[in-house]
Amino acid sequence: MGTWTWFHRFGSPPWVYGFAARWAPWFGGAAVACMLIALYGGLVLAPPDYQQKDAFRIVYVHAPVATMSMAVYATMALAAAVGLIWRMKVAHAAAAASAPIGAWFTVATLATGMLWGKPMWGAYWVWDPRLTSELVLLFLYFGYMGLRAGIEDPQKADKASAMLAIVGAVNIPIIKYSVNWWNSLHQPATRLIGEADMVWSMVWPLLLMLAAFFLYFAWILLIRLRAELLRRERNASWIREVVA
Amino acid sequence: MSEFFAMSGYGRYVWPAFAIGFGIVVLIYITAVSSLAAAKQDAKRRLEMNR
Repeated sequence: MGTWTWFHRFGSPPWVYGFAARWAPWFGGAAVACMLIALYGGLVLAPPDYQQKDAFRIVYVHAPVATMSMAVYATMALAAAVGLIWRMKVAHAAAAASAPIGAWFTVATLATGMLWGKPMWGAYWVWDPRLTSELVLLFLYFGYMGLRAGIEDPQKADKASAMLAIVGAVNIPIIKYSVNWWNSLHQPATRLIGEADMVWSMVWPLLLMLAAFFLYFAWILLIRLRAELLRRERNASWIREVVA
Repeated sequence: MSEFFAMSGYGRYVWPAFAIGFGIVVLIYITAVSSLAAAKQDAKRRLEMNR
């Protein structure tokens, strides 16, 4: 099947609604299974860190949610751009569906990070470039959702919020590279493959947990996308078939 | 077992971090499912009204 056929299919709300309904449970099952195995690996099988002892285990929840807080934003900005450029309603719906998921991931990132910062740095919060740019990310999500909620006309809301999402994307590389560009209290990214900074028994639960969270995001996005499509396409004839 | 829960003295940071992190994971799921249920209800109501 050609790329364009796929692209056209993903532009069709009823097709996407059906696709999301069929695929969501598979992503959900895989995500939960991977999370449970990774939790066991991270909490039980991995040895304690030689410096941070068992406090390092917070990485198995903090790194995945932090990765997702950025990956969801990137997805949202990309979907918003596709929506703007090709006037694709489904893409705008996907962007809108991503925002609350990303906002929650950002809250989880800040909370788990504080609980890791306290024992390692002696403070729950410092106005460090990494922490501050992550807080800005939360406000970007809030701004995006607030802007959508504040504009009655869906097309205008799509356009305005898409612009905000795209402009705000500049914050993503700032978060990612803040630990390299500035003198940060936050530790730099741990190398997981190649010349890894950790032993394999520490690495695999983290890689698996990261995979689990991507699957989990796909699962939740498909659920939220269906809700979003139902609300936008309220007068379309296909709605009758899917809710009857 | 108590050694496991103590987390070499960091238990009071490690366990709340996991509880909050995975608590939010559950919360994200619940809000997504309830949002879909509400959208379906709304669509049904509209269809019945327009009949």
